[in-house]
Amino acid sequence: MDSSNDEALDIIITNVVATFRTRCHLNLRTIALEGINVIYKPDMGKVLMKLRKPKITASIWSSGKIICTGATSEDDAKVGARRLARTLQKLGFKVRFSAFKVVNVLAVCSMPFAIRLIDFTKKNRPIASYEPELHPAATYRIKHIKATIQVFSTGSITVTGPNVQNVASAVEQVYPLLFECQKPRCK
Amino acid sequence: MSPKACKNCGSSDIDVDHARGDAVCMGCGSVLEDNIIVSEVEFVETGGGGSSAVGQFVSSEEGARNPSFGDSHINGMGRESRAQTLQKAKQHINTLGHQLQMNQHCLNTAFNFYRMALGKHLTSGRKASHVIAACLYLVCRTEGTPHMLLDLSDIVQVNVYILGRTFLVLSRELCINAPAIDPCLYIPRFAQLLEFGEKNHDVAMTALRLVQRMKRDWMHTGRRPSGLCGAALLVAAHMHEFRRTVKEIVSVVKVCETTLRKRLTEFEDTPTSQLTIEEFMKVDLDQECDPPCFTAGLRKRKVQQLEIELKKKMDDVEDEIHGYEDEIDAELESSRPKLRGVYASYVKEGKTEIQHDEESEVPSTPTRKESDGGSQDEDELQAVAKHFGKDMCELTMEALLKLERRGLEEEEEEPEEQEEGGGGGVPKRKGPSLESILGPMPTASTLGLSESIGTCIGDGKENDGAADSGELDLSGIDDGEIELYLLDDREVKIKTALWMAENSDYLKEQREKAAKIAKEKELGIYKEKKPRGPSKKRDPIRASTADEAIGKMLEQKKISSKINYDVLKDLNIKPCPSPARSAESPIKKEPSAAAKLTGRSRHPARAPLSLSTPLSTLGKRLQPFITGQPNKKMAVEQVASSNPLPVPVGAPGGGGGGGGSGGAGAVVVVVESGPVHYDDAAAEDEEEEEEETCVSAMEMMGSNDYGCDGDYDDGF
Repeated sequence: MDSSNDEALDIIITNVVATFRTRCHLNLRTIALEGINVIYKPDMGKVLMKLRKPKITASIWSSGKIICTGATSEDDAKVGARRLARTLQKLGFKVRFSAFKVVNVLAVCSMPFAIRLIDFTKKNRPIASYEPELHPAATYRIKHIKATIQVFSTGSITVTGPNVQNVASAVEQVYPLLFECQKPRCK
Repeated sequence: MSPKACKNCGSSDIDVDHARGDAVCMGCGSVLEDNIIVSEVEFVETGGGGSSAVGQFVSSEEGARNPSFGDSHINGMGRESRAQTLQKAKQHINTLGHQLQMNQHCLNTAFNFYRMALGKHLTSGRKASHVIAACLYLVCRTEGTPHMLLDLSDIVQVNVYILGRTFLVLSRELCINAPAIDPCLYIPRFAQLLEFGEKNHDVAMTALRLVQRMKRDWMHTGRRPSGLCGAALLVAAHMHEFRRTVKEIVSVVKVCETTLRKRLTEFEDTPTSQLTIEEFMKVDLDQECDPPCFTAGLRKRKVQQLEIELKKKMDDVEDEIHGYEDEIDAELESSRPKLRGVYASYVKEGKTEIQHDEESEVPSTPTRKESDGGSQDEDELQAVAKHFGKDMCELTMEALLKLERRGLEEEEEEPEEQEEGGGGGVPKRKGPSLESILGPMPTASTLGLSESIGTCIGDGKENDGAADSGELDLSGIDDGEIELYLLDDREVKIKTALWMAENSDYLKEQREKAAKIAKEKELGIYKEKKPRGPSKKRDPIRASTADEAIGKMLEQKKISSKINYDVLKDLNIKPCPSPARSAESPIKKEPSAAAKLTGRSRHPARAPLSLSTPLSTLGKRLQPFITGQPNKKMAVEQVASSNPLPVPVGAPGGGGGGGGSGGAGAVVVVVESGPVHYDDAAAEDEEEEEEETCVSAMEMMGSNDYGCDGDYDDGF
């Protein structure tokens, strides 16, 4: 029923968002002027710093809060965050690495069959909602694990959740429901 | 509920009389409860021998409560607000609904939805118009009317997606499961708009069949239903020999041309499109198709696979070609006459150059420009940086490679000359790093290059700052790599200069702002921007005369810079018109203020000001609207502004207007003319009020006296 089938489902994590705090005030102008790969956005009050390895974009606020996006795994996110903190340290700020938390994980998965969205929505009301005028996918929200799944009619789904574990369990939960409403391939 | 102790004297001797419905304290005699609600049913004899039940009907509708329930005056105010909200909502819903031609039943349902939403506190934090539109759309979906969210957003002038979000939240919270949109619902509506005349029904039927066919062919999932309808109608029209262009359909159906064409192409791909018209009407193919994006995905995958195979083949062929090339070169070499002397080494270097050329695709321009630089690497890099206008460390790998090659070249050219400074040493050092670069990892190599350049050019890196992390775990972090992320002193200077140049505008703004604040601080006027707290509710002014009312209002209301209060005060004394400043805003303000007022006594305050405003001071915008019939319009404005108040509308004419303004005496003569007749359409529209106000003002300005005596004829 779930991914322990003959054909295992490939869940590909495409984005991990994490936040942490440096517990010290950061001077954005210094960072902007003395760092490589930085974009200063004074109107938004933040600095964007992009790291090459791991490929991460970080938004740095002067209060010391930093959001890292673009990592492909939770560990990657942590390494990137630490690297970022180290860079800031070298710039001369008294940086402490605290409150690291992975906030959002986005994963993509592809079912080997197409899905009947209208059936799926009917069977899973009110958890699922489908509004073709607004968005081509049906949205399925699992409250207790706080995951949101967007189901497209081609069979590909995108899952977002607070951590990788939740995402995996969300896919497992939703697979049987999708299986019921599948559309057999004609050609 | 009978209280156990009296609030006034504390005595616990309380007499509850259910017959009278009272609770009276025996100690001090105060009435503690009045009109007690009992669950007994009593019958009384009526005249004529019949019997009727005793009691009052208490309506469940808010606002109808009789405020004589003991100490429930406070409650009364709260209920009234709720009633007002509901009343307003009802009006909005009706307006919108009539614009969409929805029947009364739907509108009532929508109002019920709104009431439910209000009960669940879903209206707070959202614009009332959004919530109302969402309620209406909810009704449309549950009833299955052919109204699209797009129509609603057109009327309300709000982004569709915002409305959609509100709609989704509402449907989720109210647990209303709206059935999915069926494109078949829209067909008759669009067909009507496309004007097929008598054959309307036939065309609609054909289009319906087409849409059903499309559904079976999986073209409708995930798509806007209006797009499908558009395509179906186009084909149906053509089938029945009507000429409808894509543009006409697009204007009716509200999708863009590209979408329509896409749908047509997709339909073309299905086997149904191969049938003739008669066949289509009779036969329904059993075979279903995959959704178009599915087939597109499959096609893409196939193409990709083909590409990979092709590439493989190409690689094989290329290898063969290279092999041949090498052989040819070797042959040529052996047959070429050998050069001797100084140039021998140069020729060799030339060959390696060619190799490098092949392996790195480099733009040729940098070389030309670099020729300006001296032999020293530093100067070269300086020149390059200047030319590119970028940081040194942002030079591309290719450019750096070029530099290295040039360096190598020079070395070869002047083998006997002593290289100045570390210039010579550097190219030698760079030699090996080039080899390592031409390996795979581009990122690492670029970093490697910049590191070597950094170390040659600048001084040491900045010191690690105080940087006492305590909690920062440095395992797995390559410090060297991180240092590359930081710029050098010189680099910092260059970057600072560039950044300042780029952001000069912003910096100027900031400086001006700071200067302004400093100046204000000196003068002591500086006001910190405080976040606005909840606006406090103002008590209604109770005044016996208009003068009092004006006075109290002026005290209460914040002083506006746009109203000339002296004029206001003057008005109490003499009715001659005195110029007032920019009347637009006050006029606008007042009708809106009027909407919030609960007492009619406010009217006098507004009216005179608007009257006294000479039109010349009114903006150009309002002047064109000046026409005749000012008095009536004035009256309309009066009435219109009073329309938002549910109760007073019922008592117009001399009674209310006269009563409210009677006390004004000579001043508010205008008000005495009273609301003459209503104009329902002007109800909530303050813009109209504004225009009409200035109309009346102009006329009024014509005469010294307020000359409204003539208006009395028009009054009822």
